[in-house]
Amino acid sequence: MIKEKEKRSDSKFTIRFVAIVRYELLWNIRKKKFLGMIIVAFALATIALVVPVILSSVRNEPIPQNPDQAITTGLGIGGFGFFLFAVVIAMNSISGEFESGTIVPLLTKPVSRTMIFFGKLFASFLILLTTYVILLCYLSIGSIVVYGPQNNLHLLPLSLIGSIISTFIWVSMILAIGTLSKSSMIAALAAFGTWMGLGIASGIVSLTTEQAWVLNFLPGSGALGSLDSFGSLSTGTDSIASNLITIVLNPSANVTYYRMSFRPPYTRILLYTEPLLNVLARSIGVAVAYILLFMFVSWFALKRAEVVE
Amino acid sequence: MLSLEFAIETIDLTKRYGSLTAVDKLNLRVKANTIHGFLGPNGAGKTTTIKILVGLLKPNEGIFKIFGQEAKGDRPDIRLKIGYMPELPKFSKHLTGYELLDIYGEMYGLSKIARKEQTPKLLEMVGLKERGRDRIGKYSKGMQQRLGIAQALINEPELVILDEPSLGLDPVGMVEVRELVKEIAKEGATVFISSHLLHEVQQVCSEITIINRGITLASGSLEEISSKFAKLATIEVEVSEYSDTVVKKLKALPFLTQISVNGKKITIQTEAKEDIRPQVSKTITDSGGIIISMSLKEQSLEDIFIKLVTESEGVKKK
Repeated sequence: MIKEKEKRSDSKFTIRFVAIVRYELLWNIRKKKFLGMIIVAFALATIALVVPVILSSVRNEPIPQNPDQAITTGLGIGGFGFFLFAVVIAMNSISGEFESGTIVPLLTKPVSRTMIFFGKLFASFLILLTTYVILLCYLSIGSIVVYGPQNNLHLLPLSLIGSIISTFIWVSMILAIGTLSKSSMIAALAAFGTWMGLGIASGIVSLTTEQAWVLNFLPGSGALGSLDSFGSLSTGTDSIASNLITIVLNPSANVTYYRMSFRPPYTRILLYTEPLLNVLARSIGVAVAYILLFMFVSWFALKRAEVVE
Repeated sequence: MLSLEFAIETIDLTKRYGSLTAVDKLNLRVKANTIHGFLGPNGAGKTTTIKILVGLLKPNEGIFKIFGQEAKGDRPDIRLKIGYMPELPKFSKHLTGYELLDIYGEMYGLSKIARKEQTPKLLEMVGLKERGRDRIGKYSKGMQQRLGIAQALINEPELVILDEPSLGLDPVGMVEVRELVKEIAKEGATVFISSHLLHEVQQVCSEITIINRGITLASGSLEEISSKFAKLATIEVEVSEYSDTVVKKLKALPFLTQISVNGKKITIQTEAKEDIRPQVSKTITDSGGIIISMSLKEQSLEDIFIKLVTESEGVKKK
């Protein structure tokens, strides 16, 4: 009989939290779709690195040296990549437990629902962090090999932080929808619909109306602006990583917003200009607000959930 | 071991799903250190009651206590004392049996040493030692059922709740489960076992509660229930040839409730508490009849169960 005190761990909170994290990690990393996603991400990164080599070999030209390749590419997966990673990690996390019935033994263990929720969330964070670190290292080393020595590699952690924040908006949204609906499919489809809708809307609203500022308070790519002489820039939550690096390299940069004129002479009409720092602070604030809101909804739904089936 | 009298106590426990009342003011008392059977037909409210006890459902009314502690809301401290095996348990198919038990043990706060000792022991006990390193996705239903029992015992709980533990098991597995239940009780735990298999309950349980439509129909020890509800005994007599005199004399006996004749077979029903076979035998032989065979059939738990359930359904037993 294991009744003796010494057989129980002293730090029960830690051991139980670790158990939830371990449970979620093992479940997640063994999922076929997660492995598939990792393979696709690395395959795309490899293609991005190899294509210039192939092209220069075909053209019989040397590969152009680009010391900013690593820092401008970041994770190289963009908004859709963030969304896909979020779907793969979060779509089954809680709703899948309800669908498969595995929630029954889990919720009857002596761990609070709050701990289960945060354990799962922390596991998602760890998976995301590990995957992004490996991907970032792979792309950086690849950039050095293909494009020569790279500048500002010390800023890569900013890219990592930004990418995780951007992904976590979708993670928390999918978790919230999944916990409320108890359906992975509804969670994935609803989040995809939102992502798609916001993507389409942001393009249209940015180019045709004077209300582009609204997009800055929604998740996704946000309004389209111009960064001084550096070209176009997305101001939404999907671009936190690249904007973080840009602000460090160009602290006084400004973003200018335009809309298209559909009457001759078909020129851009200037709307307004604001510092990039404002854009960045706002996008981080909006991202954190959405993450907290969705997390609260998800936690509350799990706390209240009854397992009828 | 706690010395409290009741491991489980519910007071007017009620659970409604819309207009359907699944559990209706249920007053259940499970004495500590007993094997208590929870009997009822499908849809009687057994699983709903159990789900309330383990925190999966919230009651609409009433309270319930586990070892005297009122359980309200999310109570991991109370679940620490409970080992629960759900009906047809489902586990993450990506984990191995060993990993699952190890992780669940961790959730109970067991140290690594304790888990290392307990996990292989439990896998062996439920006959999964050889398959412990296989993913659960490759397990058969029966194996998952066995794993369900093992995970319910990982923390050596004071209260073990088993919801239909024999479901999906072959006859050998069923016997093994029964032996296992007796073994758990021997170690000092209270076992609360829900089942619709009457013979299973009869073989392992010392106390039972019969419910239907969420209402308690009977509760107590098997003897108490038998003496309270098993009022009728049936005596079947085969005589060498039919005789009106024999039947007439038998009908005159004071303790008879009913008598039916089918050729040479006479069936007598009685409410008498004592064995009346000698009197029946004497009456037949005194009337010139010759007895070929005689057997006494007392009301089994199954008879009592069917009687109580049909009565509760408002159907008169024939």
